Amino acid sequence: MDSISYYLQTILNGILAGCIYALFAMGLTLIYGVLNFVNFAHGELIMWGAYFLFLFMAEPFGLPLYVAIIPALALTGCLGLAMDYSVFRPIRRANRLTLLIAAMGLSVLLRNAAQFFWGAEVRTYGFEVIAGTQFLGLYLTTTQFAIIAVTLICVVAVYLLFFKSRLGKSMRALSDNLDLARISGIDTKRSILAAWVISAVLAGIGGILLALDTNLHPEMGIANLIKAFAATLIGGVGNLWGALLGGLLIGLAENIGVLFISPGYKDGIAFVIMVLILLARPYVILGERSD
Amino acid sequence: MKKLAVLVAVVAIFAFLAVPAVRAAEPIKIGAAFALSGSIAVYGEGFKKCIDLAVEEINAKGGIKGRKIEIVYEDNKSNPKDCVTAVRKLITVDKVPVIFGPAGSSNFMATAPVAQENKVVLLSAQGAAVGLTKAGDYIFRVFPSDTLQGPHLAKLAIGMGYKKVPVMYVNNDWGLGLKNAFVDAYKKMGGTVTDIIAYDEKKTDYRTELLRASKGNPPAIVNLTYINEGAVQFKQAFEMGIKTQWLCGSAARAPKMVELAGKAAEGVIGTYPSVPQNTKQYQAFKDAYKKKYGDDKIPIFGDYNYDMVYVTAKAIEKGGYTADGIRKALPAAAKGYKGVTGDKTFDNERSPKFAEYGIWIVKDGKIEDYKK
Repeated sequence: MDSISYYLQTILNGILAGCIYALFAMGLTLIYGVLNFVNFAHGELIMWGAYFLFLFMAEPFGLPLYVAIIPALALTGCLGLAMDYSVFRPIRRANRLTLLIAAMGLSVLLRNAAQFFWGAEVRTYGFEVIAGTQFLGLYLTTTQFAIIAVTLICVVAVYLLFFKSRLGKSMRALSDNLDLARISGIDTKRSILAAWVISAVLAGIGGILLALDTNLHPEMGIANLIKAFAATLIGGVGNLWGALLGGLLIGLAENIGVLFISPGYKDGIAFVIMVLILLARPYVILGERSD
Repeated sequence: MKKLAVLVAVVAIFAFLAVPAVRAAEPIKIGAAFALSGSIAVYGEGFKKCIDLAVEEINAKGGIKGRKIEIVYEDNKSNPKDCVTAVRKLITVDKVPVIFGPAGSSNFMATAPVAQENKVVLLSAQGAAVGLTKAGDYIFRVFPSDTLQGPHLAKLAIGMGYKKVPVMYVNNDWGLGLKNAFVDAYKKMGGTVTDIIAYDEKKTDYRTELLRASKGNPPAIVNLTYINEGAVQFKQAFEMGIKTQWLCGSAARAPKMVELAGKAAEGVIGTYPSVPQNTKQYQAFKDAYKKKYGDDKIPIFGDYNYDMVYVTAKAIEKGGYTADGIRKALPAAAKGYKGVTGDKTFDNERSPKFAEYGIWIVKDGKIEDYKK
């Protein structure tokens, strides 16, 4: 592999990792934007999304991938709603720490539940490995192409929904001020439910793409969530384009960094960036609006 | 009055005699801090099966001096923090004098000082890391150290004509120990290490690490990896068109790895502590396993776990059911003992003195012994 394509492949690898982070970060930032708390159980939506697909592709359903995706994402959306209904709605007005702890507890519960149903072992959807297609000296598989394309589609779709639709407008109003939004006659319940469904479906899509690209594992969500969280912070909490850019930035920085320093410090790169951003923009964790 | 005194005396004598009898019925408890959940629960369930098999056999033959063995399992959740919690619980709540420690060298090494401080015997049946037992004289292992595996892997690489290789390894006690043992031996044999790439466990994306290792199209890459990580890596390397001879250690040698990686794992070669399967001990174990569980797929390291139970039982019989007794009796109990995994004699570092190494290869989706 000559040296130009060596670096180009690294950049491509960074973009792939970044797209996955961005898909996770978008869902995270959406819930943060509307409900003003970090959903640490988001990683489990990612993982359950992937396992739901596994469920519908395995016996007794045995559906092909393209069909199975629909019920899998629908169930992931329902899981998001169920999370809100059972845990977060009763404590909607509790302080942020309570919400955070509740989310962490829920995360453990859902992870253990997945382990209970499917076991702790690593699984795959059972597709044959296919060598990537060579294109200008770069290798790209169908799944990887799908990762990039789906991420772009999701960003545009969520952007349109958030900024061009009535529902999006009410969600944004909600995130500015819950009480004011309610007094103005906005159906807050409906907006919150919509935010959960979108966030969960984004997580499900990301989880399925990640599992198609690698494997299924009960800890696959949590392993990537912290990076998604960093991406959210870098991009500015509640900012969709920021989530995309933050994800790509971390993905690229990590992968390019690997070429020059020991890959043992790969995670360090993401967190150094995150800490620097937090130092420069401390209001992000203080919970004030970033815009 | 006199009669009553005699009666009391007789009752007292019987009561006194009866105490050991009551005691004898009490089970001998052995702790096991195993991975029953978390990332390496894949292994934990297999170990448990083989431990249970050995315990069942010993108990069926009357246990240890009439007392039955009972294993107290504690989930270590596959991470060092919960391993320590599990071992502490076994020591303080269950008060066991001997514990079968967690798998994963880092996990085991986190718990070893706890056992040593509390003077409780801790054994490992799969820890290969070089310094695994260095915490003290209560720490033992029945699995050979990588001090022995490193040179075998180096010999394999040189023997196949690979004089220059990059080395990738999983960044933990096991990976680091084997990497050092390999690099030392490889250099002594005249080999050159072109790059050293450490990577973290449990990642989903190793593409750029692989790309860096493949720089300059090396004919072979040494990758000291695990089941899940290995599967992801071979898959991603295959997708990126990296064509090389992968040389691995023992931890990736699992049907699960091949199942996950599919044809991307084809041709991967590695070393492993081999257990001669033509011995009567091995055959008996295999038959007993099949009889109990209905299949003859012996879980990875299951045979070592099985031997660990027997060696421990022998030590308890010899030295008594106390931590000190077991610690002192273990070397003598294991000396010359021919288990399923061969001669279990300990060396000065309480690790097996003898180990045979084989070479494995993935061929047509199966793990086979490599024939040159």
